[in-house]
Amino acid sequence: MYLIANIIVCVCALAGCNYGGIKFFRPKQALYAQMITLSLGCIAFGRMFNIVRLLTDGNLTDHFQLGFLGMIGSLMFFFSANFSAVDTHLDNGAKEFSKYRLIPLAAPGLFAVLYIVLFLLSDVSALWKIQGGVLTLFAMASSYYHLKHLIFPDAAFGIVKFLKPYNLLALIYTASIFAECVAMSRSNEVLTLVCCCITGLVTAAIIPTVVRGIAKWKT
Amino acid sequence: MENMIYILYICMFVPLLLSLPLIHKTSRRIMVFLLIGISAALFISEINGLMLRLLGYNTPYVTTTVTPVTEEIIKAIPVLIYAFVVSDDPKKLVASSFAVGIGFALFENTYILVTSVDAVSIEWAIIRGFSTALMHGICTATVGYGMSFVKKHKKLFYCGTFALLMISIIYHGIFNMLVQSDSWLKYLGFVLPLTTYIPVVYELIKSVKNKKQETNAES
Repeated sequence: MYLIANIIVCVCALAGCNYGGIKFFRPKQALYAQMITLSLGCIAFGRMFNIVRLLTDGNLTDHFQLGFLGMIGSLMFFFSANFSAVDTHLDNGAKEFSKYRLIPLAAPGLFAVLYIVLFLLSDVSALWKIQGGVLTLFAMASSYYHLKHLIFPDAAFGIVKFLKPYNLLALIYTASIFAECVAMSRSNEVLTLVCCCITGLVTAAIIPTVVRGIAKWKT
Repeated sequence: MENMIYILYICMFVPLLLSLPLIHKTSRRIMVFLLIGISAALFISEINGLMLRLLGYNTPYVTTTVTPVTEEIIKAIPVLIYAFVVSDDPKKLVASSFAVGIGFALFENTYILVTSVDAVSIEWAIIRGFSTALMHGICTATVGYGMSFVKKHKKLFYCGTFALLMISIIYHGIFNMLVQSDSWLKYLGFVLPLTTYIPVVYELIKSVKNKKQETNAES
């Protein structure tokens, strides 16, 4: 079942990455969109590693696997796209926006609480406690900006309001891979498959959403 | 024979080092990075040996999960220093990091050749040349590209480079896993670096041609 789950995500991410590559890896295209495309590439590579591991008689749950770095890399690209390419222009640090900086802390806070309950205080192996902890750190960082850009009143910069659907999808993706990590730590194959289906759908929808957002912003 | 790796290192490193003053400036930079790659391979052989001992001589796990991490990190360090101290020009960085990867592969291939001289063949040489060497070059060049943002987009550099490092580690891991498999998957491993290299080179040639045409049209 792990194999099917990883194939679903890999195919969806690869399709999204190729579409993003065609659309955004051309001169004078937004760096933001290029980062999101690379994020999908990271997801695809990570899943490809898991697929090859399973095909070569490996096991995904007993030892640390490099495929996990695909999840981390994708979150880093999402974080980097929002934090470096957009937030610098969006938030000038004015006091009037302070509530939009505080409310998004709810997302990382929720991930931290979930990690404590589902990993630290629960009966899972040390490997999953560490992996879950690392994933939570990156999920906290990227989810903060996704939520911030969902609620931030973008009056001057413009593009962020058109990219709200993307930020929502990215937030769902973050929650979904966290849930997948929880499912895998308990060797729950059905829940892993459900999470991967959600992840697959979200990764397939991300690039078309970004394309539509940028097109709306330009018109 | 004991100390074979050091004997080989001296035999390769010293003549190339002595040729440096006679080489043209641009080629000299590439040669220096080639030498750095050779030195990195020697250094990593010690680290990988240590890792193998620490993980109870579980060779398949170490070569598919641990060595991609150590090798990619060590290969990236000299490029990172160059990007910080000397130049952040993407063209220079990609070429230099590719040279580090090739230097690394050159030493690795030669060491395997010398230590397993009875087991090698023309097929082995072709496979090592077109797959392993290219894979090392591609992986380091990927990270090198990310480092070109070191001065231009500092925020992007930290996360972007780290995320690209993740991609190259996973790519390296996939390659090692494929080529070590006993099934038809190993053939996939042999062609994987070429399927990455050819489209990239094609795109580069196309973009250079387009730029030339643009400048001709302007003049």
